[in-house]
Amino acid sequence: MTQRLVVIGNGMAGARTVEEILARNGDFTITMFGDEPYGNYNRIMLSNLLAGVEDEAGIYLNDLGWYADNGITLNAGVKIERIDRAAKTVIAADGTSTPYDKLIIATGSSSWTPPIKGIHNPKRGFHQGVFAFRTLDDTRGMIRYARDHERAVVIGGGLLGLEAARGLQTHLSDVTLLHAMGHLMERQLDEKAGHMLQASVENKLGIKVVTNAMTTEILGKDRVTGVKLADGTQIPCDVVVIAAGIRPNTRMVADSGLPVERGIVVDDQMRVRGERDIYSVGECAQHRGNLYGLVAPLWDQAKVLADHITGRDTEAAYTGSKLSTKLKVAGIDVASMGLIAPESDDDEVIIYNEPKKGVYKQLIIRDGVLAGAILVGDNSKAASLIQSFDRAQALPEERAELLFDIGGPAGEVSPEDMPDDAQVCNCNGVSKGAICGVVNAGCKTVSGVMDKTRAGKGCGTCKPLVQRIVEWAAGGEAEEDPAASWYVPGVPMPKPELMAAIRKYELKSVSAVFDKLVPGGEHDAKSKMGLASLLKMMWADQYVDERDARFINDRVHGNIQKDGTFSVVPQMKGGVTTPAELKRIAEVAEKYQVPMVKLTGGQRIDLLGIPKEQLPAIWADLDIPSGYAYAKSFRTVKTCVGSDFCRFGVGDSTALGIAIEERFQGLEGPGKMKLAVTGCPRNCAEAYVKDLGVVAIDGGKWEIYVGGAAGAHIRKGDLLATVDSPEAVIRLTGRFLQYYRENANWLERTYAWVPRVGIEKIRAVVVDDAEGIASQLDDAIEEAVQAYKDPWKERAVPATPGQFRTSLPLTVLPQVPVRS
Amino acid sequence: MTLTPEIPRVRLEPAAFPVNRGGLCAKGFTAADLLDHPDRLLTPLVRKEPGNRESPLREATWEEAYERIVTAIRGSQERFGPDSVGCFGGGGLTNEKAYALGKFARVALRSSAIDYNGRFCMSSAATAANRSLGIDRGLPFPLADVAEARTVMLVGANPADAMPPSMQYLDAGRANGAKHIVVDPRRTNTANGAHMHLAPLPGTDLALANGMLHIAIREGWIDEEYIAGRTEGFAAVRAATNAYWPERVERMTGVPEASLREAVRLLATEGPSMILTARGAEQHSNGTDTAQAWLNLALALGLVGRPFSGYGTITGQGNGQGGREHGQKADQLPGYRRLDDPAARAHVAAVWGIDPAELPQPGRSAYEMIDALGTDDGVRVLWILASNIAVSAPHTSHVVQKLKDLDFLVVSDIFPSETAQLADVILPTAQWAEEEGTMTNLEGRVIRRKMALPPPPMVKSDLTVLTELAGLLGRGEFFTDEPEAVFEELRRASAGGIADYAGISYQRIEAEQGVFWPCPDSGHPGTPRLFAESFPTASGRARFVRVDHRDPAELPDDLFPYVLTTGRNMQQYQSGTQTRRVRALNVALPEPRAEIHPDLARRHGIADGDMVELRSRRGAATLRARLSDGIRPDTVFAPFHWPGANTLTNPALDPHSKMPAFKVCAVALSRVPEGIAVSAVSPDEMVEI
Repeated sequence: MTQRLVVIGNGMAGARTVEEILARNGDFTITMFGDEPYGNYNRIMLSNLLAGVEDEAGIYLNDLGWYADNGITLNAGVKIERIDRAAKTVIAADGTSTPYDKLIIATGSSSWTPPIKGIHNPKRGFHQGVFAFRTLDDTRGMIRYARDHERAVVIGGGLLGLEAARGLQTHLSDVTLLHAMGHLMERQLDEKAGHMLQASVENKLGIKVVTNAMTTEILGKDRVTGVKLADGTQIPCDVVVIAAGIRPNTRMVADSGLPVERGIVVDDQMRVRGERDIYSVGECAQHRGNLYGLVAPLWDQAKVLADHITGRDTEAAYTGSKLSTKLKVAGIDVASMGLIAPESDDDEVIIYNEPKKGVYKQLIIRDGVLAGAILVGDNSKAASLIQSFDRAQALPEERAELLFDIGGPAGEVSPEDMPDDAQVCNCNGVSKGAICGVVNAGCKTVSGVMDKTRAGKGCGTCKPLVQRIVEWAAGGEAEEDPAASWYVPGVPMPKPELMAAIRKYELKSVSAVFDKLVPGGEHDAKSKMGLASLLKMMWADQYVDERDARFINDRVHGNIQKDGTFSVVPQMKGGVTTPAELKRIAEVAEKYQVPMVKLTGGQRIDLLGIPKEQLPAIWADLDIPSGYAYAKSFRTVKTCVGSDFCRFGVGDSTALGIAIEERFQGLEGPGKMKLAVTGCPRNCAEAYVKDLGVVAIDGGKWEIYVGGAAGAHIRKGDLLATVDSPEAVIRLTGRFLQYYRENANWLERTYAWVPRVGIEKIRAVVVDDAEGIASQLDDAIEEAVQAYKDPWKERAVPATPGQFRTSLPLTVLPQVPVRS
Repeated sequence: MTLTPEIPRVRLEPAAFPVNRGGLCAKGFTAADLLDHPDRLLTPLVRKEPGNRESPLREATWEEAYERIVTAIRGSQERFGPDSVGCFGGGGLTNEKAYALGKFARVALRSSAIDYNGRFCMSSAATAANRSLGIDRGLPFPLADVAEARTVMLVGANPADAMPPSMQYLDAGRANGAKHIVVDPRRTNTANGAHMHLAPLPGTDLALANGMLHIAIREGWIDEEYIAGRTEGFAAVRAATNAYWPERVERMTGVPEASLREAVRLLATEGPSMILTARGAEQHSNGTDTAQAWLNLALALGLVGRPFSGYGTITGQGNGQGGREHGQKADQLPGYRRLDDPAARAHVAAVWGIDPAELPQPGRSAYEMIDALGTDDGVRVLWILASNIAVSAPHTSHVVQKLKDLDFLVVSDIFPSETAQLADVILPTAQWAEEEGTMTNLEGRVIRRKMALPPPPMVKSDLTVLTELAGLLGRGEFFTDEPEAVFEELRRASAGGIADYAGISYQRIEAEQGVFWPCPDSGHPGTPRLFAESFPTASGRARFVRVDHRDPAELPDDLFPYVLTTGRNMQQYQSGTQTRRVRALNVALPEPRAEIHPDLARRHGIADGDMVELRSRRGAATLRARLSDGIRPDTVFAPFHWPGANTLTNPALDPHSKMPAFKVCAVALSRVPEGIAVSAVSPDEMVEI
């Protein structure tokens, strides 16, 4: 059966409650009474209206049309004088009475007027120029009056007073805020925060603030001319705005015999105590001893009331609200919630105070949840703190994260921070580690990495991340894609094409290659060494050397040091030497006062600090061939003691190492080639981590490992083959080295090349001759071996006149190109 | 993509179609694995003891399976009336199959009981778009337009995980300086790359949209001219937004005022701008109103119908768009016609060759139908196609019970899904590469599905089964299993409707790489972009609809203090019937992970990788924890691809779309000792067949 519902009060609580009842399809005929002749407007937006942030249309929550649309009888501007509980009627000021089955009292509250002399005018309520700040009419009047005047005083330094003061500044130039307490917003802020706020209000907004200011008198006969404080101070002004707090409108209710203490006493269902059919909601209601003056609690109450009165949820209970407020003053950030001071020793208090910036933050944490917070000067964390407070969220261990955005949400994931197993391409399940592996193996182009891993080949979303990872793993820029497949950057051809062209046109010098194969014929300095190496490999002794195609090391056959001097490493095959050789080295070192004599990792002796012009003389005195400790070439073969002396040795590694070095000494290639032969799997010569390493195993057999490294990059070599004889080792070594020389890109070490090509493929070609090119490889390497000349013999006839002339002082050293 | 038959399987290569432009996600790349998967259903299966669903399943001939089905249908309809037999379809069916299924229910079964799993997908956005714009087409513009927008707001959408190939357009936009704003309680992969990420409390998106509109009005950013010239009903919406002032919205949503303001500033002043919603905004008990709130914002800013601007909803199911247009829905006839519209009934009845009076009236929506299964006035014999509601529907323990309450259950699928295992009869069906047909993507582009290889010998296409069953029920003359013939009939049935396919043919689709509906005649070029001139509403104007925030149907409390929100992982699809069987996908993501903020985890002593129990008022699920600071500390995320998450979810329905509240329910969280298995059942552990 449809019941008659009467609502006294058409403000934010009353109208909202009706909305909630309608939303629950409550079966009522509804009659509402409101003191003000309007629909329901948003009272808390009045300060925005005053400040011109909103217009009037923007503050109506329910315009008059809404009541009509929903079949509500609204008596706007009709005041209820009495409730007749026995007759279940309400009696209005005009004498009419309206019966109800259910009654909701939402009379709200009124602005409280402090007892100040002269505040009232006996004839017209407030004295002329004095305004309360509570209603739309108050606000309109204030705006009209303020426009024509200059100076305003606001009495009350709470939220509303501050917003009023700021709003008045829109209309007049001089605003003073008087506050009876020791600091502003004392209900929401502690003393320190209040003072910080005061400083901001004074400095940023130009509002004068007087605290501990008891206003005793409003001055002016016909209209306001000033105010007088208890200490005798007089402040001249034209407008006085009262924002000193609110008092619930309960007199009529109390007079009607309903229980009223500070407010109308209600239970958890928002029913008035002892009443079956009368509810109260909003600022007039006293729930569990508390009065609420903020909108959020009012609207929480409205939901419970609606649940109960409509029977939607008769168990619904209002148990109180958590309070939080923000100051709506542009440029002044203030937020407060919950406790403003700790209440027990167990309360955790976190304070951040930066007076110079006007920033103050305080948190109170109890039992692991946020119990209160004050923010002044920085509201950036207000939203998350309010959520945390309202919802008792779990808190971060680092409490500072509550106060500041530390790091914040990662915009872009930094490759550095990603774990290796982090999935980059979800489409094809490619991890960061897999991408880095490919990059480390030498593929440094995004497209190359994508081809090899399939990363980014699905949806493509991860492409930017793949690019970042490739760049990061490559230690800077990823290489340009088109050039990626080129053997050298200056000639736009991949290696096989380039070699074919070189053969076709019989290009035997670096400059010939540039002239023929580069559109425009530009000689790219960075490409010269790679081309020289390639041409030398292809043409052996037919190669036409052009010395400027060489790096300084290659030009002077020594390794340039950081002070511009060179190192001289004489050949010492297999690391085996003789007393005579040692004596000669010693004598040379003494004669030329070599600053440092050092054993190298490759089992040789290094004479360091040789000036360039002394090189030929030293080489002559040494009379030992070059050890090639500088070029992109065959370097050395490291060996262990082998079977002659070692108790464990199973193969004569020393002899084999010497034989290998003897054969392949000086062989140039795309990258340096470091070899080793070790006499047993104990691996004293570290053969597992060489470009080519030979390991003697039981039964007179030898294992050949390729593609190992132990430099900046560490990689265990892949087993190429196990063979029966030293001869077979030498044959496969030659074939492998030649295959590498012909197919690897410039500066591509075997540790990158072998995994790129794949050990299976290499084995098929080198060991099993799957492509039928083994004899070609053998012939080519034989030709290269035959073309060997000891470069240190150049001392007699310098290849160029200035070859060994001093070029010191060398300030900027050429960067040795490396492919990591 | 292109498929080439190879022995023993096919080779799959992405094709550069104008939508995906060669991109495929992991699910696409691995889709061929499904074709010869060992779990594939290859013959009909029936219970060893008829009527006893506890008894083992055994292989059967089609004749025997049909015989049991027809007997069940006839018996039930004689005793309980025509509506006691129902059909439950899926958004994965081709247009032809969805159309034929709707017709089968009404013509062969004469039953009102038909609905489909799209009800659980995009029904909220569809309902909002229909009432506001007069038409429901996921995107009113080609997907490629997204790349041209300067500001894109993605609400509850995570295409980076859920629809990776579409990301190329967003990425292209970003590369050109477009700003993307992602609204999601989780910092998803989509959010990671965006200009802004707003993380509202789940269930408060509507307030967020209204709050943004409030700011737009206050700042004078709304398009008064557009509102006056092209819309109606703004006054009520404007009044409603007065209650969504920034401070309040900040407190409700947790999105800082400054972010709210900046987001709407970008949309309003750095256009062209788009607002795209997806399931995160829509799968709520107020999902329709939430989608509407975003539509209202788009309309107030004058976005809809402008170049590279507007509102859209992103749908992902294979035929999510087409599946909802041609009569698979309880209240719908082909061409997006309303079943309760006499003119629509007359038109479609004429195409079908029946008396309009024979057509049943609208039936129950998906969850309502499920909820009434086995009751006197509910469905007692149900045929489920292309849907695994034992995993995908909310409150699955209840759903499973309701399925058990049925007198007879038939399931058509390619694998023995969790739902199929409850059936009396399981029918093996052809899958994607084994059949001809059309599908309609999220842009409203009708595209072809082509047969690359024949289905296994004992497997039949659903179209054939529909036709043969209709024949056995004495209505065979109304049906054909030739896909193109069905499409030709669909063209006629949809002619003059909202989703008008009349001018679309297989040849045109081939020649034009898809045709956008509406396409009323063969000379019509199709309609890639809607609303440039007017809206297909009675007045030609878009309608604002006032919407207000309502709390989710279930709020956290002391017993269930956290919000559970469900969603998708990149590697899995829907209920996982297919993707949980693909090795590569399972290697990438073998089990569901509950995403938990480290702060929340610490409160409960949970470490990354621990097993945790999630409990709601409806059930419990045990799954492994994944700690992530990208999620709100009051919210837990669980993917729904495995049995588990939907044991928890709340079947409270949206009053307009009947969408269940998948995205918000209240849960409790606790750590459980190691050794307790994930409550999700993997396919391998399933009942022996």
